[in-house]
Amino acid sequence: MNALATILPALDELPAFAPGDRVHVLNRAPIGHYRVPIYLRGHVGTVVKVIEPSMIDNEEEGYGRNAGGKRHYYRVALPLPKLWPHYQGAPRDELHVEIFETWLERA
Amino acid sequence: MATEDFVSRLPNDIGGFEAGSVMRVEHVLEPWEKRCHALADVLDFKKIINTEEKRKGVEALGETLIGKLPYYERWIVAFANILFTKTIVSPTELAEKMAEVEARFAEQAAEAG
Amino acid sequence: MAGPHNHGHDHDHSHDPIEMADVPGYYEVMETAIRELLIDKGLIAANDIRRQIDVLDSRTPAVGAQVVARAWTDSAFKERLLADGRAGCEELGITFYDDTQLIVLENTEQVHNLIVCTLCSCYPRPVLGLPPDWYKLKPYRARAVSEPRKVLAEFGTVIRDDVEIRVSDSTAVVRYLVLPRRPAGTEGWSVDALAAIVTRDAMIGVIPVTVESPLTLENEAA
Repeated sequence: MNALATILPALDELPAFAPGDRVHVLNRAPIGHYRVPIYLRGHVGTVVKVIEPSMIDNEEEGYGRNAGGKRHYYRVALPLPKLWPHYQGAPRDELHVEIFETWLERA
Repeated sequence: MATEDFVSRLPNDIGGFEAGSVMRVEHVLEPWEKRCHALADVLDFKKIINTEEKRKGVEALGETLIGKLPYYERWIVAFANILFTKTIVSPTELAEKMAEVEARFAEQAAEAG
Repeated sequence: MAGPHNHGHDHDHSHDPIEMADVPGYYEVMETAIRELLIDKGLIAANDIRRQIDVLDSRTPAVGAQVVARAWTDSAFKERLLADGRAGCEELGITFYDDTQLIVLENTEQVHNLIVCTLCSCYPRPVLGLPPDWYKLKPYRARAVSEPRKVLAEFGTVIRDDVEIRVSDSTAVVRYLVLPRRPAGTEGWSVDALAAIVTRDAMIGVIPVTVESPLTLENEAA
């Protein structure tokens, strides 16, 4: 059997999501340092791009952790009229933001 | 007002907040501000204080100081606090060095005047 | 020596009487002391700071304007730039000293992009230099994500309702550069002539590029 066919990636090495996937920003409410603004939490968006390569969690980096625990960031598109109850603009206006994998789950 | 809101929301997390019109203010950086920015970059390059640690340090100043201090002033106070926590510099060391620097500047101004 | 008064903070407050221009203030003393302590301890070198100041001075909106002008005149370069903004810029010798990534956002007839950092002041520094105060202050940071069309109108920019607005909020390692639309009447212009009309604010996405854009302070090297 071809050796390439039996290669296994490490856990968390491959992206969990792909462009086009609907994702839900978790409703987690950390104290201390975070990089996912409150206005995004609990909302649903669509993955536009997988940011490569996998990288350190920036929220942990704030505490001096400079290595390890690498996962992917995803550029996620969220419709602005859904983010803001009184949004004044066009229905297809969007927000794009990069979010770390541990803040997302499949919607 | 629930105090949890103050604990769980960072003072810099203001996306969507009410605010006034954008005033297109800008200024040419003072030399010390540019040195402060260069210091931040060098501290990040050398992983003495990485950029995310700096952001967290500024957040940790709290809402009042963040409101009162201009931009680079927030950075330099945050650096001091982080260096203390990492025991790279002690508060006493910094205080003594600041007094020395201040005296040196005063002497230079007197000589120039 | 003393520049225009620094309003890099959010609230109005009474100002201290203007001090003698040449006496460093409290925070400059702190910056000097920290720098000297770190040098004394062998953690940084004086030359590290001097060099980084030169690096910062070498990054101005004129650098970003060259990227835009080349994208306008070389469609193969534009495609590479849109696929990987950092790699495209690196082709031109632009190094990413802060190890950020770059996504170049193309404005089209259908989509208008603008960039913001609601949490702090993330900005494509390697290619645009340092951000203006207004970008770092509350009104822009708070409202660009929730009422972008009103914010754009405050810059004199009106986007039709059939054009989609895309606001990119930098929260992580990626930075953005807006590739503005090339104005009519610039056919046959050289890269340098095109670069001269591309302003910093057009690359943030708050104003368009126009043929009448004067060479402004933003475009001049520091």
